[in-house]
Parts: sequence; C-alpha cells; structure tokens
Amino acid sequence: MLNRVGRRLRRLIQRPASAELTRYEALLPAIGRREAELEKLSDTELTEAAAAMRERDPVDQEWLAELCALGREATRRALGERAFDVQLLGTMGLLTGHVVQMATGEGKTLSGALAAAGYALQGKRVHVISVNDYLARRDAEWMRPVYDLLGVGVGWVEPSLTTEDRRAAYHSEVCYGAVSEVGFDVLRDRLVTRPEDLVQPEPEVAIVDEADSVLVDEARVPLVMAGSVDAGMADEEVANIVRRLRHGLHYETDPDGRNAWLTAAGASVVEKSLGGIDLYDESGSARLAAVNIALHAHALLTRDVDYLVRDGKVQLINASRGRVAELQRWPDGLQAAVEAKEQLPPSDHGEILDSITVQALIARYPQVAGMTGTAAAVAEQLREFYQLEVAVIPPNTPTIRTDHRDRIFASPSQKLRAIVEEIRTVHESGRPILVGTQDVAESEELADKLAKADLPCVVLNARNDAEEAAIIAEAGTYDRITVSTQMAGRGTDIRLGGADGADHERVAGLGGLHVIGTARYPSSRLDDQLRGRAGRQGDPGSSVFFASLNDELVLSHAPDVPEDIEADPETGEVTDAAAQRQINHAQRVAEGVDLEIHRNTWRYTRLIERQRAELLRHRDAVLRSELARERLAEAEPDRCAELAEKLDEATLTQVCREIVLFHLDQLWADHLAFLAEVRETIHLRALAREAPLDEFHRAAIPEFHKIVGEAEQRSAKTLLEAEVTESGVDLAAAGVRRPTSTWTYLVHDNPFDSDAEQALKKVRSMLRKKRS
Amino acid sequence: MLSAFRSALATPDLRKKILFTLMIVAVYRLGAVTPAPGVSYPNVQACQAEIDQQGIYGLLNLFSGGALLQLSVFATGIMPYITASIIVQLLTVVIPRFEELKKEGQAGQGKLTQYTRYLTIALAILQATGVVALADRGALFGDCSQPVLPDNSVYSLAIIVLTMTAGTAVMMWMGELITERGVGNGMSVLIFLNIASRIPVEGANILNNEGGMIFAFVCVLGLAIIASVIFVEQGQRRIPVQYAKRMVGRRMYGGTSTYLPIKVNQAGVIPVIFASSLLYLPDLLGRLIGDPNEASAWQRFLQTYLVDQSSWVHILLYFALIIFFTYFYITITFNVDDRAEEMKKFGGFIPGIRPGRPTAEYLGFVLNRITFPGSIYLGIVAILPNFFLSVTQQGANQNFPFGGTAVLIMVGVGLDTVKQIESQLMQRNYEGFLR
Repeated sequence: MLNRVGRRLRRLIQRPASAELTRYEALLPAIGRREAELEKLSDTELTEAAAAMRERDPVDQEWLAELCALGREATRRALGERAFDVQLLGTMGLLTGHVVQMATGEGKTLSGALAAAGYALQGKRVHVISVNDYLARRDAEWMRPVYDLLGVGVGWVEPSLTTEDRRAAYHSEVCYGAVSEVGFDVLRDRLVTRPEDLVQPEPEVAIVDEADSVLVDEARVPLVMAGSVDAGMADEEVANIVRRLRHGLHYETDPDGRNAWLTAAGASVVEKSLGGIDLYDESGSARLAAVNIALHAHALLTRDVDYLVRDGKVQLINASRGRVAELQRWPDGLQAAVEAKEQLPPSDHGEILDSITVQALIARYPQVAGMTGTAAAVAEQLREFYQLEVAVIPPNTPTIRTDHRDRIFASPSQKLRAIVEEIRTVHESGRPILVGTQDVAESEELADKLAKADLPCVVLNARNDAEEAAIIAEAGTYDRITVSTQMAGRGTDIRLGGADGADHERVAGLGGLHVIGTARYPSSRLDDQLRGRAGRQGDPGSSVFFASLNDELVLSHAPDVPEDIEADPETGEVTDAAAQRQINHAQRVAEGVDLEIHRNTWRYTRLIERQRAELLRHRDAVLRSELARERLAEAEPDRCAELAEKLDEATLTQVCREIVLFHLDQLWADHLAFLAEVRETIHLRALAREAPLDEFHRAAIPEFHKIVGEAEQRSAKTLLEAEVTESGVDLAAAGVRRPTSTWTYLVHDNPFDSDAEQALKKVRSMLRKKRS
Repeated sequence: MLSAFRSALATPDLRKKILFTLMIVAVYRLGAVTPAPGVSYPNVQACQAEIDQQGIYGLLNLFSGGALLQLSVFATGIMPYITASIIVQLLTVVIPRFEELKKEGQAGQGKLTQYTRYLTIALAILQATGVVALADRGALFGDCSQPVLPDNSVYSLAIIVLTMTAGTAVMMWMGELITERGVGNGMSVLIFLNIASRIPVEGANILNNEGGMIFAFVCVLGLAIIASVIFVEQGQRRIPVQYAKRMVGRRMYGGTSTYLPIKVNQAGVIPVIFASSLLYLPDLLGRLIGDPNEASAWQRFLQTYLVDQSSWVHILLYFALIIFFTYFYITITFNVDDRAEEMKKFGGFIPGIRPGRPTAEYLGFVLNRITFPGSIYLGIVAILPNFFLSVTQQGANQNFPFGGTAVLIMVGVGLDTVKQIESQLMQRNYEGFLR
C-alpha cells in the first residue's frame, strides 16, 4: 500500500525518472492466457500469426499483448527458454520508446529481440545498436531462430563485411551493429559519389543495447572519419631531444595528467639542441608545435596504460572500457609523435574529413529505445540529451547479493596487499572471484602479485579481448580467480558453476561469486556495473570495493584530504567516516566533470551537426539530381558544350557530379579544421565577458555560408583544367582521397572561472597561506 | 538592427522566447505597482510627492524599480536574492561542505541553488519586516505625516510581510523562468527593467519642473551618453595568441580568431557600486549617532563636503575612489600570472614573447595601460549625474537614468541580451542560403 502511494507520488513529481509500468503489467495475465492457445499452433501457423500482426492497425495495448504472447511462444520453441514476465515488460517498455533498466542476467537480449521484431512487424526497419562487434554478431546469431519463427529478417554488420553484404544487412528488417560500425557507415555514406553506393537506408528505429554506455560514456567521443594524406611527419630529431628532458627540471605536467609544458630551462635546452632557434618567434612556432606534441607523447602517455604496442603498431586503450580501441588514433600529429617515441615507422597522417557524435547519430532515428543494467543513475542525462524516459523493470527474483562497505587504506600498496589477502581468504573456500581493475597495468601488477602468492588467476584485459567473452563466461566456475579490466566481457553472463551451470549448486552453496573492485570508478554507475556481475537472477553473491586515499580518483578530483584521518599503523586500513566521505565526494566531482564534458561537447557540436545536415541536404541534391551539371553549364557553358560532344549524357553528368562533390567534401573538411582551430582558443573570449559558445557561432556561421558558393567556383575551375576522358574525370591529379583510416578524438574545454570565482580563489588561497 | 529584430520575431522559436520574456515583464510590472494589502494607496502617493530626499534607500529603491517606496507586492524586490547569492558564494570559501558541493558540478550546484533560495526567503522576511516596521513608524518617508498603513494590528502587518516575501519568491521564480525559457539572464533582465522603468518618471519630473527646452536638452544628452557608453563598453584590446599544440595540415588559420581580449572597461560596474556605497557610509554614520536637530561641527563638515553631492570634494573623492576600485578590482579578478600559466599549460603563447614570467609581465603591462582610460571613463560616467542636480532633484543622483550605475547596468544588460538574441538568430537562420 505504502509502496503504491510512493510510486504514485514519484510519478506526480516525475522523479526519480522511472516511467509508470502498471499499464503494461496489467497486460501480463492476458498474455498468459493466450499461451495455451498458441502452444497448439504448428511452427508455420505461428509464423502466419506473426505475419497477421503486420496487417493489424492500430498499434494498441491488444497489439502489444498479442506480440508478447507470440514472442514468448517463439522463444520457447526456438531457444527452449520461456520469456519471463519481466522480460515481456521490458519488451513493452522498449516498444513504447523507453530506456528500460533490467538487472544483469535478466535477459535483456531477448527482450530487445522481441521488441525489434515488434517494430519490424509494424513495418519499420530496426537497428539494434550494441557496444561492440562481437556482441552485435553474437546477439544476431543467437536470436535468429526467434526472428525466423516470427517471420522477421535479421542481419548484422561488422568491420570485415563487404559493401554489398553491409547493404544487405542494413536493408534487412532488423540489423545488429556496433555503434562505431553504424556511425562509420553513416560517415562513409556521406562521402559517396554515386547514389547506388549508399549502404544505409533511411533510419527508422534504433534500439540501443547497453544504453548508458553508448549514450553517455561513448557520447563524449565523436566518431571521426579521416582520410590519409601522407605518411606521418613526426620529427625524429625532436623526439630524440625530448626523450632526454627531465620532469620537474625541463618540463612540468599538471596533476590530472592532461597537459605538459616546457619550463624556461627546458625551452632553452631544446632551442640549443635545435641549433639556437627561438621557439616563441613567428619563425620557430612550427617547430614548437612538434616539440609540444613530442612532449605530450613523452610525458603524458604511458605505454600499457594509454596504449599498447602490438604488431609494430601503436594501439590506443579506451579508458572508459579498458579495451583496445581499434579504430582510435590520436589527432593532430600526436599519433606520429607516439610512434616516434616508440621508434616505430610512422603510419599515415590523416586529415579529418567528417565527424559525428553518438548523439547526432541517435538523433537521426525518429524512434529510439534503449536497454541497460544501470540507467536510473543517468536518467537526467538521458532526458536532457535524448528526450528518453527510463523505465525500471523489477528483477524476476529479488537480488540477494550482499554489498559490503568499502575498505579504505592509506596508501595504494597497503590496499594491494589487503586485496591479495582478501582473495586468498575467499579463495580458500573455493568461491569464484572476479576482480575488477582500473586499467591494464593494474591488472598485470595484481596478476603478478597473485602469482607470487601462489594464487593462479586468469587475466582478462585489452590484450586478449578476442577470447574475453569465453573467459568471462567461465568466471563463475568453482575455484576460479578472474582479474579483469572495467568492462571486459560486458554483455556476457557469468553463471555460477561455469558457462553451462553444471556446478551451480556447489558454488551457490559456497556463497556465489565474490566481486572485488580494486578502486572506485569515476562514476557510481560503473561501480554498480561491476557489482551487478554477482547475484545474477537471485543467485547468492557478494561485492566489496577497496579504495585508498591516494587513488587516482581522489588525487585528481578531491586532493584536499583532511589531515586528521588516522590509519591502522599495521595494515593501513582507515575506518574514519571522513575518508569514505572524501572518496564519495571525489566520485561525485568526477561525475560532474564528465557531465560537463559531455554537455560541452554537445553544445559545441550541435552547431556543427546542424551545418552538416544543411550541407548534406545540398550534397544529396547534387548526388541524386542533375544539379551539378546545371550549375556548371551555367558557369562554364563553352566547356560544357565541348564536353557534351565528346562524352555521352550519363558520363558528363557523373563527371560534373564528382567534381562538385569532391569540392564540397574538401571544403567541409577545411571547415572542420577551421572550427577545430577556433574551438581551441575561443575560451579566451570569456575574459572580455563574452560567451565563448556565442563567439564560436559568430565565427563559424559566416565561414559556413561561403562553402556552397566556393565549391561552385572551384568546380568550374576544375572542370576547365581537369583531364576528362570517356571513362570519366581524373581527379587523382587534383588529389582525390578516399578515407583509408578512421579514428576518434576527445573534445575538452577549459573555460575560465567567472570574475567572482577568481576573487574567491584569491581569498581562498590567502586564507590557506594564513592558516599554514 | 531593426531588420535583425524583425527576423528575430519571424523565427518561431525565438519569437516564443521573446514573447515569453515580455509576458513575464508585464506580470512583473503589474506586481511592482500593485500595493500590498493593508497599504493605503492614496496616502503612499501623497507621501511620495512630499519627500524630496530618498537618501539611503536610493540604491535599494533603484534596484526595486520604485516598488519599495510604493510598498507594492514586489517591494522587497530581488535584493534578497542578490544578497543571498553573494552570501552563498562567500560561504563556499568558509564552509567545507559548500566548497565540496561547488566542486561536484551540476548536482552540487543544484543543491547550492536550493540553499540560495532558502536564504533568499529568510532575507526577504527580514527585509520586508524592516520595511513594514519603518512604514508603520512613519519613518519610511521621512517627514510625511500621512499614515501609510492605516490598520497596524500585528495580524495585518504580518500579512504585508508575508505578501512581500511571497513577492520576492515569485520574482526569483520569474527570473529563473526567463533564464530558462526566455532570452537573457533573468535576474539581469529584471534589474534592467527596474532601472528602465524609472526613466519615464524622471523624465516627467524634469518636464514638469524645468520645461520643454531643458527636457529636450536632457533627452539628447542622455542619448549621446548611452551611445558613447555602448561604444566604450564594446572596446577591447586584442592580444594575438598562438596555440602550438597540434600539427595543422596545409592551411594556416587564425590571426583573426585567436586572440586574448581585454576590455577597456574590464571591471564593469562594480567599482562604481563600491565607491558609491563607501560614500554613503558617512551619511549613514551621521544619521545613526547624531541628533539631526543639533548638528555638531564635524557633522556639518561631513554634510557640506561629503554628503552633499554637488560639492566638489564629494565629486572628486567619488572620482578618485572609482579609479582606485577599478584598479583594485582588476588586480583581483584578472590574474595575469594565472592567465600566463594557463596559456603555457595549453601550449599557447604571444608571438615574440616567451611563456611564463615574461608573458605575465606583458599582460600586466597592457592591462595597466588600458585600465587607465577605462577607469577615467567609469569615473566620468559615474559623476555625470552630479552635474545635473539642479535639473533633477537633490539626492536623486543614482536615479538619474542617464548616468552613474543606472546607465552602466542598463547598457551592460542590454548588450548581453541583444547579443544572446543575435546568437540564437544566427544559429537558426539558415533557410535561404541554398538559393
């Protein structure tokens, strides 16, 4: 009763953001009643019943109920699993455009598949967007029998597919794909020069798997498409000079490891080594950029933490997932600088051709739904950035996992010792243990320590991500210790007693999986994701986080630790409540910073996306109509007439089209470079009390308006000069480039504090000085 | 300019925002002239006409758009909110819990805003009680003998206090609504409104007392002052800055876009407010300790030279204080070392000048040079009204809408709001470029 009143109240004030599900709960009995009738149907009859759904209009509650009933029957036959009520609730939540929160192991994939089939039966094309290629393919193949029974076509995309296969996959009724794959296909589609080369149809419905990860964590990083221009131009001389510089004497870094800069001493050393030039002169500034980049590579990027060297190549590690980010590269020469640092041959140097944020990618779909294990914590953001409401689906069986209090230590080494101790104690009983670390280096260190303590473990990190799903599936086996980076193997269930659950009773009897976090993550949501690995579907389990006041999180976000916190002299364990408060505070600061970055990225990219959409409309007109030819015929009538005699109609049209498209794309790439340049310094405008964002627009908009006119002028010039033959135009002379590599980059802003902030800072530092 | 406004109104999205703001403005003005329950409207009007000196309530009355002395439902105005924001800001220095919240980004800021609101209500109660008590004792309008609150039972006084407090809460809400769904910063727009709403009243005063010629003269002069203030306010020195953090491809950009701007009037209106507040102190002191009927020698001295706004001593002192506070405020808010340090960190430098110390020195040099004319300008704008005392009324210095704090605030807020409208216009107005 109280519960219901509470729910009503929450709905009244719309907080926390959980949509009301009672309406759909009421449908469950009807779905249950239908079950018996559907059981009698043959497979063909079931498929026919599903096909009949396509004709039914409108999509109302009865439609939903019938779909769920059919879906449940199809899953029972195809997978031998009868969908739980909560899974059907999830399906209905998805079909009504919510982000549904379902605990780990509740069968999100199944709910998602039924919802995708539902949308498909409404005649819409569905893209199921997942976090990585492995999951996209696995889910598509796993759910295929269900789709087959419901008469819905399914496909998936992955990087190795050919263009034809890709097009076929996107045109199937339901298509699974990783967010980066779908995003890059969108970007590639924006560069085609023939309408028939497009692979993606008009977007209709997106169902986002692991919605918080895709929509919030990944959203900070725009997908960037780059075209190779030439081999890298890293300055090896500079790299060798920088290698000799010493921290503190020649250069300094800021505590959060974002920036490195030369000291006066460092600058003169570099100047002397480079032959007595002045770096800060107009003439030396080209060299200065090389020095700064080399310094960044040298001082801020650590091998095995930020990147791996594999097969003679530098590969980035995605900080938010602890995995190798295959498609990522550092922008603006940094990649080449890192290669010079590692003395590897330079890879191609690229130019940014186009970019898209996850947010803009999702915004293309008129209908969006999502599913995840941890959505409630980001409900506000989902509403602000995506206009999505969260619906929390209760677990099928209540979770009985015990979450222990954080154990806090004074120093990281004491913490590590305690973690090893904890693992030893728990391991003695044979309970499986999953340890979640912050990064690859930490995994390795811990694995070393465990090996020395004679505790064999399986390490799961970015280095063997190909097998990670299989390994994580076995993490619940008796006696097993698994050490894993943050989200390694996300989307794969950990069943007690191994992947087949053969040993379930014994492991459950011992207390189930024990999850250990080696440090608190930068957001409580990530903590919860790790915790959620244990206690799946009402299994027993427990979790505990270890933390220290010298953890990265605390150091970079809340370094002013109160001094009077006392630690146990022997173990270094801290029981003071102030320590816990400090750590929680640091995590909240980190969350705030991330949100700010997300919002900033979005505020600055919104205009770019709008300009891009505007230009794409024009590009599309050029691509699909005779526009280019008409315009060029106006500009250069003589040349056009001359060519018309030589070539047939279609070839000439295509030649004109290719010329105009080439210049449009090139100008857009130039425009992006210009915007990046403006973006970097625009925060200085805040000093004159101008809003940097407004000033950014002021600079960006006039520049954008020049593009179409400029493209026509340049096209006319190219038409005059280029060699045109029967087979088309030879643009290679003009330097046509097709994108051969792609990478992503992070946008960060450093706005100044306001005047009041400045004054306060001053007062604060004066107070500090006095105190000490 | 006019065409920009026309297209602003032609953009549906923006039109809605502007109309929304205007609607709030209308509601607000209505409230500012609606007397609180229990206030005798005719008597208030009579007293208003009688008083010749607004004295220490001058600034408060200015900020409330005259609502204070009207004893309207918005009598306490937004002052409690402004004070509360300043207090909460200061508390973040002193109270660790507040400092933590401040750092926690949006979620923490939300809590701080909530605290600010509570504090606003508390301050509004205090201020409303003060105003009502003064009005009840007949002290609000100096010598006015008319009872402005005919029924002075505790109950009816409490109702007035409650009404005014609620008025402040509503204003706070309206301000937030403007920020959220209208154009400009809500609080600034409301302050702008308060000041601007004095112009017709003051204008009518001049017309009635001095006749058409002087009135026309003041109008022309006023416009000239506003125009020159707008001119100077937009003046800035642009120091070129280069960022050498990336290897850009073939084309070099920048030159036009990468610079560090320093405004001529970098300090804004704050030095004027500081200086005038400081000059009120002797007056306040004299009232508090002295007996107005038997002024002692030093009080007479203060009265002649400091309080009297037409005295040369007062004017010169005011001018000097403004110059001092301009420099003072700029040294506090524009930290050249921080700027130089920050530029160094992010790979920026001023061509020809080495980063770190030399950059800081160079910035300091430019800042000092530009602050000098800036502070003189501030001083002149601030003391202008003092020369028009014979035209306006004695003591109405701050209320003279063509000088001092009033014009600086109005122009500042006006420019910001117009800029914001313009920027939104630019963002939306894409149609028509594809021919």
